[in-house]
Amino acid sequence: MARSISNFSRKMKARRTTILILMNVVLFFAVSANDAAGQKRFSRTYPATKNVRLQLLNRSGTIEVQGWDRQEISISAYLEAPAANVVPQSLSGTIVMDLVKENQGRNVGNVNFQIRVPRASVVDIETRIGNLSVTNINGGLVRAIITTEGDITLTNISAIAVDAQNGIGDIFFDGELRTGGQYRFTSMKGSINLRIPFESSFKLVATAPSTRNIDLGPFRGTNMRFFSDGRRVAGQAGEGASTLTVTNQRGAISFIRR
Amino acid sequence: MTCDDCQLNISLYLDNELAADAAASVDAHLSLCPECAKIYEDFAVILDSCKLDLPAEPLPPNSQALWCRINNIIESETVAAPKAEEKPRGWLSRGFSFSQVASAVVGIALISSLLTIVGVKNYFEPSGEDYTSRSPATQTTFEKVLSKVGLIETPQQARVKRFKEQEAAIDYWNKRVQARRVQWDTRMRDAFDRNLNEIDQAVTEYTMILEKDPQDDLSGEMLDSALNEKMNLLRAFSEL
Repeated sequence: MARSISNFSRKMKARRTTILILMNVVLFFAVSANDAAGQKRFSRTYPATKNVRLQLLNRSGTIEVQGWDRQEISISAYLEAPAANVVPQSLSGTIVMDLVKENQGRNVGNVNFQIRVPRASVVDIETRIGNLSVTNINGGLVRAIITTEGDITLTNISAIAVDAQNGIGDIFFDGELRTGGQYRFTSMKGSINLRIPFESSFKLVATAPSTRNIDLGPFRGTNMRFFSDGRRVAGQAGEGASTLTVTNQRGAISFIRR
Repeated sequence: MTCDDCQLNISLYLDNELAADAAASVDAHLSLCPECAKIYEDFAVILDSCKLDLPAEPLPPNSQALWCRINNIIESETVAAPKAEEKPRGWLSRGFSFSQVASAVVGIALISSLLTIVGVKNYFEPSGEDYTSRSPATQTTFEKVLSKVGLIETPQQARVKRFKEQEAAIDYWNKRVQARRVQWDTRMRDAFDRNLNEIDQAVTEYTMILEKDPQDDLSGEMLDSALNEKMNLLRAFSEL
């Protein structure tokens, strides 16, 4: 009798476990299906001219731009609900997307971009909120602006001019400073890390007024001087062939050897 | 024939270019209508005066001789009249009183001084943007003298003026943002508020430093930069 009761309870337990597993599977697929239905994908490819320029103003979301060896621009965007209007325009070699203007007054979800452009492109990207990342670009300009929060990551950049600005978030630059180039990095709060070759030639003005945390790294001991109680460093490395301006209102600045 | 028909044909009638019966009709009408007859007379007088062979412009009998005579008269008068010796006359003897002369001298001095000051001011005063970033250390001695006299703005005064302009712009954009922020989602509103708060903290920090030490130019520069950041943030979000 006791044996049959024990068998019965075992069977009941097994059945309960099976039901639970089945419920989990159903729930998982339901959530996945909901996600898939809530996100749209947008994809376009454009032939690139010699002097190609990408100009993108996003409202909210990440932008990843990567240089490649093809003479074409590939744009993929993942649109969270409610979906934003994305209308790229190709104007004589310039691809323009202005999601702020196209979605003015609308409450839209994140739009996350993955873009491939020729390496020699001019890249001008901006978002109100979200991370920006640019890789493998050696054109005339890399401009990456975040109005509020987000990190900016610029990797393997050899552009003539670089302008990176954000509110709250980190900025990381890994690249070369070209002769006659102008490089500007500005943050309100976060860390600015610059990874450049030791033999770089530049004139520097670096200001961190609140933290006074300016680490010159490999350029310590070169022709650099601290001013205003350590709030600013100015000087020259090498011949001073380019201009480097770094301002971090409430954060730190660091130089790293590349 | 009506008066209108007659008046239309008067000119042709005078020139004898009308057909016989038409001319007879005009003739008959003119004999009956005093108004048209008057017009006919006027036309006739004009026509007669045009036909008169007027003489050319009357010329003196011998114009060359007349001109020679006039020329001779002028030359003889110039030689005959000896030059009266002019005595050197002073300002006062020319009819100016001493007070008039003195006031003229003072006036000239004032005008030239003002012109010099304006010229110097224009020459030495850099653009507003440059001036806010300048410090007493970078001022020339001449600029320092002029700013002490009150003829040009000191860097601090220029900075204060610029801050007021920036604050006015911030007020404008802030009103637009307040009208729009109800449309933003919570994430957007929170991010905006966090960033604005961060900038405001920086502004407060630099303002306090500048109150203690108005000569701290780096804080002045950073305050300028922070206010610009605030303005840009508000402007960007007012477009959402």
